[in-house]
Amino acid sequence: VSEARTELPQGTLDLLILKVVALGPRHGYAIAQRLQQISRDVVKVQQGSLYPALHRLENRGQLAAEWKPSDTGREAKFYRLTPKGRARLKAEEADWRRLTEAVALILAARAET
Amino acid sequence: MSLWDRLFRTRRLEARLDAELRDHLERQAADYVRSGLPVEEARRRAHLDLGGLEQVKEACRDARGTRLLEDLGQDLSYGLRVLRKSPAFTLVALLSLALGIGANTAIFSLVDSLILRSLPVRDATSLVRLQHGSWTNPIWEEIRDRQHDFLAGAAAFSADRFDLASGGEVEPVEGLFASGSFFEVLGVPAMLGRTFTLEDDHPGGGESGAVAVISYAFWQRHFGGAADAVGRTLALNGIPFTIVGVTPSSFFGPTVGSSYAVAVPIGMVDRVRHAPAGSRLDGRTTWWLDVLGRLKPGQSVAEATQALRLAQPQIREATMPERRHPRDLEEYLREGFTLVPAANGFSEIRGEYERPLLTVMAVVVLVLLIACVNLASLLLARANARRHELGARLALGASRARLLRQLATETLLLAVPGGLLGLALAGWGSRILVGQITGPGGPASGAPVSLDLSLHWRVLLFTLGVTLVTALLFGIVPALRAGRLSPRDAIEWRRRGLTGEGPGALGGPLVVTQLALSLVLVFGAGLFLRTFASLAYRDLGLESDGILLVNLDAQRSSVRPEQRAALLARAEEAVGAVPGVARAAVSFMNPVSGMGWNESFEVEGVPPPSGRDRVSWLNAVSPGWFETYGVQRLAGRDFDGRDRSGAPFVAVVNQAFARRFLGDRSPIGRLLRPGGPSGAMPPRVIVGLVEDTVYRSPRDAMEPIVYVPMAQGMDGDEAWPFATLGVRSAGGSPSLLTRDVAAVIAGVDPAVSLSFRVFSEQVGASVMRERLMAWLSAFFGGLALLLAGIGIYGVTAYGVSRRRTEIGVRMALGAQAAAVVRLVLGRSFTLVALGLALGTAASLWLSRFVAALLYGFEPGDPSTLAAAAAALAGVGLLAAGLPARRAAHIDPARVLREG
Repeated sequence: VSEARTELPQGTLDLLILKVVALGPRHGYAIAQRLQQISRDVVKVQQGSLYPALHRLENRGQLAAEWKPSDTGREAKFYRLTPKGRARLKAEEADWRRLTEAVALILAARAET
Repeated sequence: MSLWDRLFRTRRLEARLDAELRDHLERQAADYVRSGLPVEEARRRAHLDLGGLEQVKEACRDARGTRLLEDLGQDLSYGLRVLRKSPAFTLVALLSLALGIGANTAIFSLVDSLILRSLPVRDATSLVRLQHGSWTNPIWEEIRDRQHDFLAGAAAFSADRFDLASGGEVEPVEGLFASGSFFEVLGVPAMLGRTFTLEDDHPGGGESGAVAVISYAFWQRHFGGAADAVGRTLALNGIPFTIVGVTPSSFFGPTVGSSYAVAVPIGMVDRVRHAPAGSRLDGRTTWWLDVLGRLKPGQSVAEATQALRLAQPQIREATMPERRHPRDLEEYLREGFTLVPAANGFSEIRGEYERPLLTVMAVVVLVLLIACVNLASLLLARANARRHELGARLALGASRARLLRQLATETLLLAVPGGLLGLALAGWGSRILVGQITGPGGPASGAPVSLDLSLHWRVLLFTLGVTLVTALLFGIVPALRAGRLSPRDAIEWRRRGLTGEGPGALGGPLVVTQLALSLVLVFGAGLFLRTFASLAYRDLGLESDGILLVNLDAQRSSVRPEQRAALLARAEEAVGAVPGVARAAVSFMNPVSGMGWNESFEVEGVPPPSGRDRVSWLNAVSPGWFETYGVQRLAGRDFDGRDRSGAPFVAVVNQAFARRFLGDRSPIGRLLRPGGPSGAMPPRVIVGLVEDTVYRSPRDAMEPIVYVPMAQGMDGDEAWPFATLGVRSAGGSPSLLTRDVAAVIAGVDPAVSLSFRVFSEQVGASVMRERLMAWLSAFFGGLALLLAGIGIYGVTAYGVSRRRTEIGVRMALGAQAAAVVRLVLGRSFTLVALGLALGTAASLWLSRFVAALLYGFEPGDPSTLAAAAAALAGVGLLAAGLPARRAAHIDPARVLREG
């Protein structure tokens, strides 16, 4: 477990969830695992806030959910991206890039004398 | 997932949520087990990672978006439980709300129907009327012939009462003279048959003869809604009319406050009134028509007025009154026509009742405010009692917003049923109130007031608004306090009851407000009660009890006008002989009928008063009239049989006349001349002096009156078309005489129409407005007193219960009962004193606005104010005294034992 964890900036959790679900339908636990894996444990999602976020996205129609049999033999709730969710993902991704590039530029600037 | 599912299938949703989270926990635990942890530890870790299961669930429920509605259901059922647990509180709250909201709605529905609402006609906002009262028919005809120069259309009308009976006691019906264009300009179509055309409106009738349009209500009442009513004949004042149409039920006529039954064309006026042809139609000094018009599309009222003023010189020139002073004529030509918006119609009673209604509106708003304050302090006391509950809920993790919503729901649970009850009360109350309003035509006419009080959207909106504002007012203080609550406070406060004001302190300002408002209302009630009393018990200068008034209309009699005085004298003589009648006398004007006849005078050899002061009231009476009405003769003689036409002209004057015209010199033997150039009156010798009587209304001062003998009054065609026979009963109730009197008069001339009125009732009706104001303000003032009493009692009793321990300790340490009472009363007295001081200032300021409604004293009358303050102080003492007495009987031993 990495000690240098970073708090997620406000509002990015939705973006990350949408991105993960875009790779294919998944249940909640798998989404949590996947987030941790991809970020090499730098980003540790508070599991307590994951589910409310999932439900909120479902409620807004950006995710759709379905109960399907899973590897454990029990039914699990699988989330997948809707066209609406895909559009939001695209917009948020673009936003995020612009922002990070801008921040990087500012950080790279040298002091002028 | 549909909204329906989300709202009503919550059980399934909850099961699913549970399953999803459990699935997560199991997968996580399984992963931990795989990485080598023991099963128990794996489960513990999984739970820790997720955080509190219930918190996550709550957050997920919030994410569902239907949270508010779900909570509402919960809040409602919880709120209902709380209200059921304290039925006394619930009952008091509901009753005071229902009363407050009901009173507001009732008065507002009157304000709405009388003042605010538009006429139920097409596009009422483009209607205008010609300002300042009535117009002559020649003026109307000039306007009619030029209407398209300045308006899209113009119409005229005049209200009257028609008699459906042919002689004998009248069967009055509300009538309307309407121009041929009337219904078309208003945009009122016929529901059955047709309305008038220009062709119908010619002097004496058009090609279709004498035609009439009837209202829906009259059609139902008189013809039972028969489909063949159109085409039938209806006799009005004995003249047959053919009914050509029925108007829709929504149309009650152009006048708010009365409902027309039958309309006939203006051209029929002289025939219907049995007047010589042309007397109204051609009369250039008979002002009887109201003129209205419809604006052209896009035209403003100012533009229409301007256009009308361009035509004014021609209209005025063509309609100059005859026999007038040149100065008057100049003024006649100069006075400009003005059009004003007429969307809400015409009204006789609006002018008289507008200010009283708005005053009562203010009163009921104050009453509601007081009721709100009362409820707020009751709720506050309850909220304090519930602090522990609320604190516990906060400690268990309820959000503050959630608690506020809970309190708001409970408030609405009181306000909404209160509002509904109020609405029911209002429907009943407003009908009673309308019954108390004097009808159009003054107290003598006895015409009914009719207002459309059906629930209008504006009234419903008003009630809804009042209910919500009320809920906000009385619910907000407790809610704010709950918002400030911290869980620790709530739990600790329980133990802290030994001394200090604690959270009850806010009750103080509320009680002060309530007392101040109550004082305003009680003072107002005092003012209106005194006004009514001074009018009702005013010495009118005549004895109104025991007199039956018989209003005689001789216009349909075949007797020629110059013989009418003799006809009236015969009727008087016949009625005087009826058993049970002490005496009878005829007059042209009846006192306190609201009607008047005046003329300007001067007395020969005495410099005349200036300007308008030269005008004196006038009446024509038969010999014995003064005695019949109980008017004292002070000098000279009464009229008698010698004062007939042909004999020297004589007059009797009252004291006020002698004072103003003669400076209190004896009037007997002096020569009285009409002051104007009209020459309508011959000079008369004053032969008698009588004491002052009220002429038109008890509200008026004693004004100069000149009496002339009936036999020497008007001559020719104009003589006495109507008169009043005053019949003094020998002892029995005057209303018992009607049948015999009617029979005797029918014996004299069956064509004379009669209507009866008991004089004392007519006098009563003339102060109806003041009676209504006194009645209403006394009722609401009493209510305010009661509410103030409850408020003071509540706050004092609450204080005593909170300081029970302190009082017990003090008594154990030797405090006397009197000291305890002082302790308790001290604070209540401070509140009462503050409330009275504030209320006095408010009363003095507000009373200026009702000055016009008062009679006989100044609006800021100190003795009334002192009496009102004393009444409130008394109630305060009583209300605070009861808990204080109980405090003095606290048993210190018990208090100390119980802690």
